Amino acid sequence: LNQQTSATLRRRSYLSLSILLVAGVAFPGVPRLAAATPDSQEKPSPLFEVMKAELDRSMKTLGTQDPPAYFVSYTITDTQRVTVSGSNGALLNSDEGRNRWLEVAVRTGSYDLDNTHKVDGRQPPNGGPGTNAPLDDDAEVLRRAIWLETDKQYRAAAEAFIKIKAGKEVKVQTEEGRAPDFSREKPHVFTSSWASFTLDRKPWEQRVREYTSYFRQSAAVINSIITFTAQAQNTLQINSEGSQLQFGQVRYRLELFIQGKAADGMDIDRYYNFDWVNAGDAPDDKAVYAAAAQLRKEMEGLVVSPLNDPMVGPALLTGRAAAVFFHEVFGHRAEGHRQKDVNEGQTFAKKVGEPILPSFLSIVDDPTMKKLGKQDLLGYFQFDDESVNGERVVLVDHGVLKSFEMSRSPLAGFPHSNGHGRRQIGAAPVSRQGNLIVESNKTLTNAELRAKLVELIKQQGKPYGLLIDDIAGGFTFTGRGQPQAFQVEPLVVYKVFADGRPDELVRGVDIVGTPLAALTKIVATGDTPEVFNGYCGAESGYVPVSAAAPAILTSELEVQKKQTSTDRPPILPPPAHDAAKAGGLR
Amino acid sequence: MRQLSLAAIFLAVFASTAASSQAPTDNDQTMRAMRDEMARSKARLELQIPPSGKPVRPYYIEYRLLDMDVREVVAEYGALVTSTHNRNRLMNVAARVGDYKLDSSNFISEEGFRGFIGPSGNVGIDRDYDSLRQDLWIATDQAFKEAVETYSRKQAYLSSLARQSDIEDFSRVEAIQHMEPLATSDWSNRNWEQEARETSAALRVFPQIYESRVMYYLVYTTEYLLTSEGTEVRSNHSFAAIEAGMNTLADDGMQVNHYYSAYAPRPADLPGVEAVRKQLNVAGSELMGMRSAPTASDYTGPVLFESRAAAALVAEALGPSLSGARPPLAFQAVVEQLMSSLGARSDWSAKVGARVLPETVSLVDDPSAKEYKGTLLIGGYAIDQEGVPAEKVTIVANGKLKNLLMSRRPGSDFEASNGHGRAAFGIDARPTMSNLFFTASETLSKDDLKKKFLDACRSEKLDYCIVVRQMDNPSISVMHQEDFTDLLASFGGNAATDRLPLVVYRVYPADGHEELVRGARITGFSPRSLRNIEGIGNDDYVYNYMQNQSAGIAGTALGAFGTAQNGLPASVVAPSLLFEEVEVRGARGEPKRLPILPEPPMTPKGSK
Repeated sequence: LNQQTSATLRRRSYLSLSILLVAGVAFPGVPRLAAATPDSQEKPSPLFEVMKAELDRSMKTLGTQDPPAYFVSYTITDTQRVTVSGSNGALLNSDEGRNRWLEVAVRTGSYDLDNTHKVDGRQPPNGGPGTNAPLDDDAEVLRRAIWLETDKQYRAAAEAFIKIKAGKEVKVQTEEGRAPDFSREKPHVFTSSWASFTLDRKPWEQRVREYTSYFRQSAAVINSIITFTAQAQNTLQINSEGSQLQFGQVRYRLELFIQGKAADGMDIDRYYNFDWVNAGDAPDDKAVYAAAAQLRKEMEGLVVSPLNDPMVGPALLTGRAAAVFFHEVFGHRAEGHRQKDVNEGQTFAKKVGEPILPSFLSIVDDPTMKKLGKQDLLGYFQFDDESVNGERVVLVDHGVLKSFEMSRSPLAGFPHSNGHGRRQIGAAPVSRQGNLIVESNKTLTNAELRAKLVELIKQQGKPYGLLIDDIAGGFTFTGRGQPQAFQVEPLVVYKVFADGRPDELVRGVDIVGTPLAALTKIVATGDTPEVFNGYCGAESGYVPVSAAAPAILTSELEVQKKQTSTDRPPILPPPAHDAAKAGGLR
Repeated sequence: MRQLSLAAIFLAVFASTAASSQAPTDNDQTMRAMRDEMARSKARLELQIPPSGKPVRPYYIEYRLLDMDVREVVAEYGALVTSTHNRNRLMNVAARVGDYKLDSSNFISEEGFRGFIGPSGNVGIDRDYDSLRQDLWIATDQAFKEAVETYSRKQAYLSSLARQSDIEDFSRVEAIQHMEPLATSDWSNRNWEQEARETSAALRVFPQIYESRVMYYLVYTTEYLLTSEGTEVRSNHSFAAIEAGMNTLADDGMQVNHYYSAYAPRPADLPGVEAVRKQLNVAGSELMGMRSAPTASDYTGPVLFESRAAAALVAEALGPSLSGARPPLAFQAVVEQLMSSLGARSDWSAKVGARVLPETVSLVDDPSAKEYKGTLLIGGYAIDQEGVPAEKVTIVANGKLKNLLMSRRPGSDFEASNGHGRAAFGIDARPTMSNLFFTASETLSKDDLKKKFLDACRSEKLDYCIVVRQMDNPSISVMHQEDFTDLLASFGGNAATDRLPLVVYRVYPADGHEELVRGARITGFSPRSLRNIEGIGNDDYVYNYMQNQSAGIAGTALGAFGTAQNGLPASVVAPSLLFEEVEVRGARGEPKRLPILPEPPMTPKGSK
């Protein structure tokens, strides 16, 4: 789970020896476009007509080729985006842009066996991430782009399918491998009004200046970046099964990021994000300064805090930290396609119907939830990226594993998608999380949880336990070749002592463990769920997700020393904190 | 500060706009912040190196800042694709440890120090004092630490060598102060989005062009330079480009590309809609011609480069040879070899006084030139990126090598800079041409040159000979990364001497008729090939282009031609050139498969 928005890749740089081949989906800043914005009536975009015409023409011909195309879909994503960033008290950039991206998916073969079938665990190559589509509604120009992209994707799909057929005959198939490659789903026709926003960048320009200049007051903060983004994204998707979808969403985000360095050279980052959907729900100065003050306080504490030693002992994770913990340790392993892939650890593949968690815990993934309490959820969506409506899925019911997050890649026993096939623009969808919600019926108040933590410390005869207040996106090995372990990086960790001494902030630890063991060690939870909103990165790129959980108390958590930087702290003090002021000594 | 991605730093110094002498009355705190952080760093930046505990300090620090205001508009077939307008400020701090004789620079080491913020980055665009101080502080710290690390690696490497060069690492210059008033961007009252739509719509009359794209790229910059030697520069620059690429497949599956480009010192100087439509129509017609033209065959014999192609050939073949700086020391021999095979080594170093071109030919690089016979040049500037005033340099006189272009990096022939240290922002300055004039004291009229060419053809008893009308710029004409990668791979070890002609004709001496061919490539054409030229025309052509600044191949023959987004403006003025013997290789390479479905319809659209 990566908390920060990934850097967007910009223009082609052919000759660069460090060529970036990932989905080059840019959101270039476009000021005051002359291009027509479709009006906001709930009527289908005029672009569907040309998409349909080219789809029909393509299916008619490509459907009779050898191998035949049996499924074609076109997706146009229209993105309007405003970005306003500040750093160290000045405006870094302030841009507005619009972009349209065309993706064509072509599947050759049949639902049972097609060009996406993994051979030896390798995903066959596809025909690339797609292409820019014109911003102007010019039917002929769009049609030309669709024509070329369809041809390219068909070529890649045909080539892949021929190789798969050649390879498949000599491979012994595993049981999971017998599931079809693509599920049959009923088509959807849906039109929502066009999502868009208008906003004045000036107030945000002033706000990011002021917020980042606040951080300059602290000598512990080497660099600060605050970024406001507003994004309206509208999707037009049609496929050869008869789906025709038009849906869109506006999202706003404010991200606070500061960097510092401990005396031993360890890099320390602190980060906080606000996400909201209605312009009126933007955080006010008070809320932002409260978050900024918290980050600053943590940074100032962390740069002088001691390194912690490896230990195994009881730990309390606050709600947001617990949410990230579940996302990493459970959520990724409950992604359907991981149960199918012979290279995956398939931690939970054979555990359906068995208890994997204490019986007081249930977990659902529910992309249909817009909010939890007052908090907007970033993992909300109407339709996934395979034209399937997002569904609430009970993954764990009172400790017993029930189901998986499913895309249109079915499993034996799970023949259908539950609307979790997701991708970043340019990538092929796989099953991903939406809103992962952890529910508990064994709740304690915060004070009771803490008392219980102290009790566990004493019981186990440990000198201290850990209170974990924030966790960064970790990485989690789900592959079979790797240890079935997880590692998450807690950012704010306190030692809690049994003897009543004040808590001590420490740094330099990673939480490690194996998921099946770690999840069963949870002994109690808090009574208030907290939400983490972020962008999660995996095979199909970055997708917006939420995770929500109450605080959890675990009887045993293992932490190890984390790798540190060998860089030294800055030689001179920050200019604003230099006792020998201004120009220095000459 | 936001750390720069590699892709973000290809942006260069542009044609200098007029400077007036009035004192700045703006609220620009940039130079003050740079001066104050420089003073503190000079006085107090110091590291104790563990084994000896000996203090190390930087002997040279340089602050560079590029303030960019960029518009980019892309359209295809009359429809807008993207349109952006961004203002950014990029900072780059360089520090050197050691002394002028031997320092931390010019060394490609195994692995560099990577600071967590780094000496380059995007900084605030407010021209304020406090945020820039903060950014300069950490960038200086990182640059200094990188220099200390590189210096120790370089010393270790040098001590392993049997013989060390006595060429110094950095030449001294006189500090200059040059402050221009802040300029405001003038986008003129032209509607760039509409122009891009209208010009790109010209290609709608060629439904068989599969893809085409027209880009307008308009840039204003203010550059700042402050060095610990006391040089202070604030200068304004601008630059404008129209670049278009287009492609199709011939019936046999060979991909054929074409391009169009126009460059100007300011957006207002760019050609208007009708002129661009006309040129795009020419390129489109040629592309259609190439599509159905026969493929080129292997050929050795006389080749006439008409002036438009000759100027590009001169740029490509001679560009890397003009540099008099010592190439970087590489930690690994393989890096040295790679650079050589890409043509990064000057063929002319250690040849001062020798004849390198025909005796009638002179070669002059003049950064102060603004135009040539009414055509605007784009390669000019007043002060180079190292703060050295630009000088006009006579490189070759009467065929003999007199001078080389110099940055502050000394070479085996010359030590002092002549104000040619240029590079895209964030890349080390290297000697680079500006406006290059290839002139001859004996020239032939167009007809005489043609006659000489055909006579040579007849005396060789060839059925036909080759005329090159235009050279390719694959950075513009090739529209897809994978195709470009294939092209690079096809050069193999000949990247330094293979040339890509674009518009190539066979001329049959029997009756004088001409025939367009496709897929030709010139091989084995090195700077030495220019020593003997059979005939030189009197038809000078101004070739404005962008010198590629992409990492790895900048300054190599392979990287001669870039784009507005990744290049450094340059102009070459040269006449038609006739060579007695050039090797042309016929079409090679994998054909592509034709689209399964025929192209959908495209209706022509006029402008307005």
